[in-house]
Formats: sequence, C-alpha cells, structure tokens
Amino acid sequence: MKKIVSRFGEIEYDPENLLIFPEGLIGFPSLTNFIVMPNKKEGPLFWIQSVDDPAFAFVLTDPTNFFLDYCVVPDGDERQTLQMGEEDPCYVLSVVTVPPDQNISLNLVAPILYSPKTNRAAQVILENSPYSTKTPLPQPNTIVK
Amino acid sequence: MLVLTRKIGEGIVIGDDISITIVEMKGGTVRIGIDAPRNKKIYRQEVFDRIAKENRDAATWDMVDLDNLSDNITASKVK
Repeated sequence: MKKIVSRFGEIEYDPENLLIFPEGLIGFPSLTNFIVMPNKKEGPLFWIQSVDDPAFAFVLTDPTNFFLDYCVVPDGDERQTLQMGEEDPCYVLSVVTVPPDQNISLNLVAPILYSPKTNRAAQVILENSPYSTKTPLPQPNTIVK
Repeated sequence: MLVLTRKIGEGIVIGDDISITIVEMKGGTVRIGIDAPRNKKIYRQEVFDRIAKENRDAATWDMVDLDNLSDNITASKVK
C-alpha cells in the first residue's frame, strides 16, 4: 500500500488498483493516475483523487442516471487508448462541477470513457454536442426511472 | 510564436506527419485543411479551452457540499 496526502487528508491506496488515464484529462495531460474513492453515502456521485497532483480531485457520475438517452461509444483510437477490444464493456462517466451553491452541473460535452476490464479511462470531446459543459441536472420530477 | 504568410492553396508541414493547407479565405474567415494521423487530437481552440476550464472548475469542490448533495439526490430519486 502507498499513501498520499490530499486536501481531504491522508489516503492509502493500492498502486495495483489505480484508475489510469493514459492521456490525462483535457488540459491536464500529467494527471494520469487516480484513486477511485469508495462512496461514503448512497447515491450516484463518487469521486476520484489524483495521485500525480494531490490537489486535484474530481466528482464523477454515471450520466445515464439522469439523461437516459445519453450514449457515447469509443471509436477505434479510443479503444486503443483504453486497451480494450471491440466487444469489451465500456461505460460512460461525466465530470460533475459542484459549486458552493450546490447547483451541480454535468459536463456532457467531454465525457469520460471507462473500460472496467483494463481499468483505463479517457476524456473525449464530443464535437457538435447538443449538450453543454455545464448541463444542469433535470428537475427531480422529470427523472424517469 | 512562429508566424508565416501563406496564400490560398499553400500549406505548412509540421513534423513528419501533419500538413496544413489554406483552403479558402472569405469575409474575415479562413478555412484550413489538416492532414494528420487519426490518433492526433485536433480541437477548435475555444472548445479545448472551455473543457480545460470546466475541468479546472470541477477540481475545486468541498466535501461538505458533496455529502449534502448525495443526501438530496438520493432523496429525490426515492420519491
């Protein structure tokens, strides 16, 4: 086990279980290794902690919890980055912005593709997306489960 | 920054595998053709900047807010 001191305190992690972003996040190419933090509370939000720069942590969620028809499929280059085969499962995640007023928004223009088989992820930009980098959550009564 | 003057149809080569051609100039806008390997990521500057800024904004959050939100979002789904 290894340890880092993040802005949330000391975190112990197993280097074998890191989530790898081979190309980093957009604008942050050096952030390639993340610890996936277990959910303290029930709910769709979780967070990842950068190992490379402990100042960085991101809240993520599965956007299909809120936007049922949101679907992103990796192309050949992206599958290569994720080291996954065409038939392997791939999940989509969104970066969540949590401002102090707690009116959170999802960045649906730059989703994260995640390959559970290889524990690799990549943030991609959707050209001509109908969504916004700050897409608010739909009102609770419009969420159809 | 390197600044070059080019005419329509002329181009620039960057390294071994990227070439840029001026396709058209009209009303203050320039259309540019880019030949590059598929794995080279090419974005409009303002789109890239917006995503990078959003990532930077998303990195500054408070654990108390996240805890409160997790309660609220769970609650709203149970209804």
